[in-house]
Order: sequence, then C-alpha cells, then structure tokens
Amino acid sequence: MSAKKPMVVVVEDDIWMAGQLIRQLERGGFATAHVTNGLEAMDVIDNTHPDAIILDIFLPGPNGVVLLHELRSHSDLARIPIVVCTTTAADIPKGSLGAYGVRAVLDKTTMGVEDAVAAVRRIVA
Amino acid sequence: MEGKELNTTDDSGVFVHTPLFVAAAHELKSPLALVRQLALELESSDTMPQSARQIANQISLTSERALRLTTDLTKHARLEDSLFTLEPLNPVSLCDEVVEELRPLYRAKGRELRVRQRRGSLLGLANKDLLRRIMLSFADNALHYGDNQHPVEISVHATEGGQYLRLGVRDFGPAVPVAMHRRVDGAIGKAASTMSTRPASSGLGVYIARQFADAMQARIGTTRHRDGATFYVDIHASSQLRLL
Repeated sequence: MSAKKPMVVVVEDDIWMAGQLIRQLERGGFATAHVTNGLEAMDVIDNTHPDAIILDIFLPGPNGVVLLHELRSHSDLARIPIVVCTTTAADIPKGSLGAYGVRAVLDKTTMGVEDAVAAVRRIVA
Repeated sequence: MEGKELNTTDDSGVFVHTPLFVAAAHELKSPLALVRQLALELESSDTMPQSARQIANQISLTSERALRLTTDLTKHARLEDSLFTLEPLNPVSLCDEVVEELRPLYRAKGRELRVRQRRGSLLGLANKDLLRRIMLSFADNALHYGDNQHPVEISVHATEGGQYLRLGVRDFGPAVPVAMHRRVDGAIGKAASTMSTRPASSGLGVYIARQFADAMQARIGTTRHRDGATFYVDIHASSQLRLL
C-alpha cells in the first residue's frame, strides 16, 4: 500500500501560475488543492488541514495578509507551515512574517522550476 | 493616484519614480513572472507535447495581455499631445469586437465573455480607440477578479433620460467589504484612484481608463454588488439617433 501523499493547498488567483505550481508539486510527490481567493482558502484549509500552504499575497477579496491573520486566530490551523509566493517578495523584510507561520518567501520573478517543491520539502519533514 | 506623469524627469533629465511609474512596474511584474515561469517549464525536458502546446498558448496570451497594458501606458503618456476625435459609433458593435478580441484569452481560462443582447439600436459619441481600450481593460479586469462559475457580461443601455449610454462589464466574485477596499487601496496604492479599485490591484488600469474617458468627455464608474462588481463607462448619446 502506498503512503499517503502530503497535501499542499495552493492559494493563487492566477490559474496559470497555480497550474505551474501544481505541476511542480505533483511531480515532486505532493497532493494538491487549489483555491483562488482568501474566503475559499479558509474553507478548504479548514476542511483538509493540509501539510503546507503556498500563498500568494495579492488576492481578490481578503488578501494574503488577511488570510495569514485569520489562520493565526485558529489554534488548529496556526501550526500549518506557509510558503509565501509573490511578485513583491523583495519588499518583505526577511523574517517579518515568521510570526504568522511563514517559513519561506519565494519571489515569483526569480524563482526556478524546482524552488517551490524544495521549499515545501524543507518544511514538510 | 496623483496626476504625475510616467515621463517625469528631475533636473538632470533622469527619470524619477512616480506613483504611476511604480504602479506600471507592479502591474507588469505578474505577467512577466508568469511568462518566465511557463518558459522555464517548457525548457524542462519532461514536458509532454500536449502540455507544451498549452503552455506555449498561455505564454502567448499572457504576453498579449502585458502588451495591451504597455500600449495603454504609451497612449496615456501622449494624451495631452493628442486630439481625440469623437465619432458616432454603435457601442454594441464595439462591445462585440472586444468580446472577439478577448475570446481566446477567456476560452483558455475556461471562462465566457458575452454581450447581453438588446433590442433596438443605440448610437454613441466617443473616440472608438479609447473606448475600445477602456472596455478591454474592464473585461480583462473582470477575467482576473471574477469567479469561474458565471460568464462575464457586457451590457449597453441608455441612462439619464437617454443623454448618455452606459457600457458596463459585470463580473461575479467574492464580495469585498468597502472598508477593506479602502484600507487595502490605501496600503498598496498610492496608485489607487478615488474610484474603488480591486484590492489586489494597483488601480493603474482604472486610472488609465479614467484618463481615456476624460479625453473624450466620457466618465467611468463602478457599482458594487453583493456578488461582484460592474465597471462602466458613460459616453454621450449621439444626437444623430434622434434624427433617424
């Protein structure tokens, strides 16, 4: 019997960018779920309790920062490690989102094909 | 967004960063980052031919989207030097052209854009190119921010006793509290205009649309719905219609 794959929720409003992340993660042996906005993300994260979350910051509706706050306020969800993946990574001071469970920040403008998988692997041990 | 121009220079003739400059860079980052990611995927040796074709199509459509923005920026920068002639036009036909132009992008994202059918003909007075660009911008915006359960619908109707024609783009998406809009607009965007923009947006598209509208004596606005928004432009109705 094969081991259950770790689950990653991808919160990304651009479906093609999400598709790219999902392709990489599934090649890397992860199961994935995709949501395009913060409201939907809370439902899916609450229902699936994923092993990790990849989170874009600029989202329609409540943005990624609002979602980070919301996740912190639920004791069972606050422990889920998060990888922020954004075009504005350069504007986020290193370590500034650590208190929100953010374990890595990926810069969409510079990251390589394997970076998302590598970041998730590091936090899903 | 304050009225600083993109081509503002300091005393030595060097470009200085204005809110518009920063907003343009911000808006172009996303499509460029996506094109780069998709190209990297194509470079990887294990991409299947079917998937490669799909990715190539996504690169092409994303590039076109970015190019539309650069064209709008260029046109905006030259607005003051240009004279935009107004001409009588059929706004429904223009909306049909917008739908035709964006259909490949909508289809590739599994979405639908359509013009709500109406009886009777309407004639408006506008600059065709500027009006087309405003509608392209609104419809592109709706694709990005609307949900995928509903088609995006363009409608045209007379308003204010027939003095104006309203061309609106209605999308369906998550409701956003007004307070949050204001807060986020303030945080991201010095670029945000007084008209409500999307929380994930710098407001650049709306700002440019407003400049285009001003250049042809039209006006833009937005109506927030429980389940989405309508972005619209009001153009003068043509008096020629009354002569018919």
